[in-house]
Amino acid sequence: MNKLMKKIMISVVLTGVAFALYQNFSLMPEYQGLNEGLSNYIIKSGLNDTGSLNLITAVLYDYRAFDSLGESTVIFGAVSGIVLILSRKMLPVSSKGLSFIVKRALGIMTPFIALFGFYVITHGHLTPGGGFQGGVILAAISIIFSIVYGSAFDYRRYSPQTKTLFETGGALTFLGLGLAGILMEGAFLQNLGFLTAETGTLISAGSIPYINIGVGFKVGAGLAIIFYSMIQKTFEEDF
Amino acid sequence: MTLRLIISYFLMITGSAFAIVTVLGLLRFPDVYTRIHAGAVVLTISAVLVTMGTAIYVWDLFLSAKIVLIGIFFLFSNPMATHAIARASYKRQIALPEEYEIDAYSDYLGRDA
Repeated sequence: MNKLMKKIMISVVLTGVAFALYQNFSLMPEYQGLNEGLSNYIIKSGLNDTGSLNLITAVLYDYRAFDSLGESTVIFGAVSGIVLILSRKMLPVSSKGLSFIVKRALGIMTPFIALFGFYVITHGHLTPGGGFQGGVILAAISIIFSIVYGSAFDYRRYSPQTKTLFETGGALTFLGLGLAGILMEGAFLQNLGFLTAETGTLISAGSIPYINIGVGFKVGAGLAIIFYSMIQKTFEEDF
Repeated sequence: MTLRLIISYFLMITGSAFAIVTVLGLLRFPDVYTRIHAGAVVLTISAVLVTMGTAIYVWDLFLSAKIVLIGIFFLFSNPMATHAIARASYKRQIALPEEYEIDAYSDYLGRDA
């Protein structure tokens, strides 16, 4: 009897899922041949739909935003697994860093690298770039600190707790904008209409710049956490 | 108008000639330190000349300013990286110090951390 009930429940749930899938599938447009497919539609009306000058960002964070959420979840899973396997309580001081000249010269250059990273993140909807690329540049700053100033320097300034805070904050920004899309526009990760402005300005394109900033902080902090989990006490001497 | 283009082409061609000299030095010099010297000195002025020529070629205020910033970045980063490589190869004894008659760098070792 119990088994029969279980089978009935399973078939009811499966029927519901099939009905929902059919509902969504019937909303899709007819097959229009390979020449008039989706790419032509995006090229023609992507700017009107999203307000983003960079069509790749429009696809990544508006049309396929759910896919990008999955990608950042993949990064989150990778960071969690690597930290779980490789983390240790005390960070080993692997080196004293490079010579005085390199330290001072990088002290001059590092603010410009950070500025370039933030530029790539915040102008993701106007110029080539976006959250993932700018986040990698921000993570490179952390790696440069570890190599040039010794691994204890960056550890003292930005502890792993701070980096974890940045990463979860970025992920929560992404999810919060998705839930705001449900509340205000009616679909998950729908572009928020009230945030649009004149095309080409810095704060335009709905929720795309904010998703970019969240993804940038998430990727940068995640890659820095991966790097600091993986460095070993390999090079003792200073070069 | 045309004078600006001529100046920019002159700067770019001079930079390219310096780059060719760099490649010649990297191929023809005998050991690691002289090759590093070729890469440091000549390649830096080559990159700076090419960026200056490009900045004059586009002749737009913010674009030129960005390109000049890239040139200043080269001016800082290339000697610094070359210094790090030379110091590391000296400490790792890539080329043995006993082969040279003058070894002035050994006097300075240990003074900067």
